[in-house]
Amino acid sequence: MKNWLLFIVLVCGAPALADEAFIPNQSSDDLSVIDLATMTERARITIGGKPAGVAVSRDGARVFVTSPEGPYVSVVDAGARKVLKRIPVAGGPLGVAAAPDGRRIYVAEAYGRDLLEIGLESGSTRRVEVGASPSGVVATPDGRYVLVTVRDEDRLAIVDAVSFTVAAQVKVGAHPFGMTFDAASGRAYAADVLSDDVSVVDVEARKLIGAAPVGKRPYGVALARGRAFAANQYAESVSVFDAQSLAPLSTIRAGEYPESLAASRDGAIIYLTNWFSNELWAINVEKLEIVGKTATGDGPRAFGDFVRATQ
Amino acid sequence: MKRRAALRILRAAVLLALTPGTALAHGAAPQKAFESIEIAASPERVWAIVGDFQDALWLPGVVEIKGGGGSKPDEAWRRLIFATGGAIDERLVQYDASEMSLRYMIEHGDFDILPVGNLSATLKVLPGPSGARVEWKARFYRAFPGGNPPERFTDEVAVDAVSAYFKAGLARLRARAEGP
Repeated sequence: MKNWLLFIVLVCGAPALADEAFIPNQSSDDLSVIDLATMTERARITIGGKPAGVAVSRDGARVFVTSPEGPYVSVVDAGARKVLKRIPVAGGPLGVAAAPDGRRIYVAEAYGRDLLEIGLESGSTRRVEVGASPSGVVATPDGRYVLVTVRDEDRLAIVDAVSFTVAAQVKVGAHPFGMTFDAASGRAYAADVLSDDVSVVDVEARKLIGAAPVGKRPYGVALARGRAFAANQYAESVSVFDAQSLAPLSTIRAGEYPESLAASRDGAIIYLTNWFSNELWAINVEKLEIVGKTATGDGPRAFGDFVRATQ
Repeated sequence: MKRRAALRILRAAVLLALTPGTALAHGAAPQKAFESIEIAASPERVWAIVGDFQDALWLPGVVEIKGGGGSKPDEAWRRLIFATGGAIDERLVQYDASEMSLRYMIEHGDFDILPVGNLSATLKVLPGPSGARVEWKARFYRAFPGGNPPERFTDEVAVDAVSAYFKAGLARLRARAEGP
């Protein structure tokens, strides 16, 4: 039996980390579940309400999907591919993040000014005003902060996750949207849609460190193996730069209106959605080459960290 | 005519009042439009028209154009003046003559002509069975920026308007390219 398993691993190739992508397709109102080892779609789950934002619980059991036109957040059983419940959220829910303790989620109300905390068991909520059109949300893995891009006010809001108050507002580039956080360096990276750069913020110091110039209209940003990737919608490219020095490394040609990025759990692959051409692409992080493509539903937004580890 | 203009200003003011932030605020779901046409002319001949950013008289309803910057991305701009009296300001974003492809965006729109926000579009000329094929694709939002849009500013209204505009434009482009 052991030999058999070894054989299978050897034959099928190393990445035993079976990752899946959960891609909200905004125009077709559903959620594509894509097996990333084979780049094939395994399931399609009806969501409704023009789904856009996505987050996965740390244990991989739950996927949270925002529907700004619902308006609601769907809680999905990732393994069973089933919607467990819909939580109404009035103000155009867009960005979403799961707290590391698995007990709550954070939702940006893009039509309003607030970040919302929702207790998953209790259903109790807290809200904090962060500014006009809160968009991307990330919860730091230490449970201390929730970070929010405040799109129409060109700021990154640092929210204290315990007191649920704004600890700091850091000025970034124009119209920050997608964002990610690197726990090792304590830095947040926000894609500034209108200033064509990625702002880098030291969260603990509450300070803008710098900005990396990227291509036209960057929407999503992700990190892997010390490299930062930004998806440029108008340039139809992915900019790659060194996450530490911010020095440019490469520009990769993308599909039509590339939008969101997420890293595989082992950091070997960056996944990219192409919103107009309805595709998920895989980019080899070391070689900076496209190594896989597959079709999604219509209008894959996948705004958030859409990769789920299944083991 | 004056009354119409006044109404338009009033409507814009109401929209702005409803919008926290800037004129770039928009709905949460971007929309797509995709139209294409086959033209019995060489791709080069069609690109000579499409690729001249300052020549947009083939666009439906356009009676006059002002502009500058030639076909240089970021610099090239044009103001399309419509028979109805409205105007749309566009800027060239990308230009690739070797691929016969360009991308532009609307900088200042007119909801009476196109009830959309934040529109960008690509025009591409390809070889086709009858000569050339032109593809026109756009990404945009409905004009109303928040949730629960009024009936005349919904996603559907926006998509219908852009699709109709593209169809009419492509038909005029074909007539011109196939003409003497």
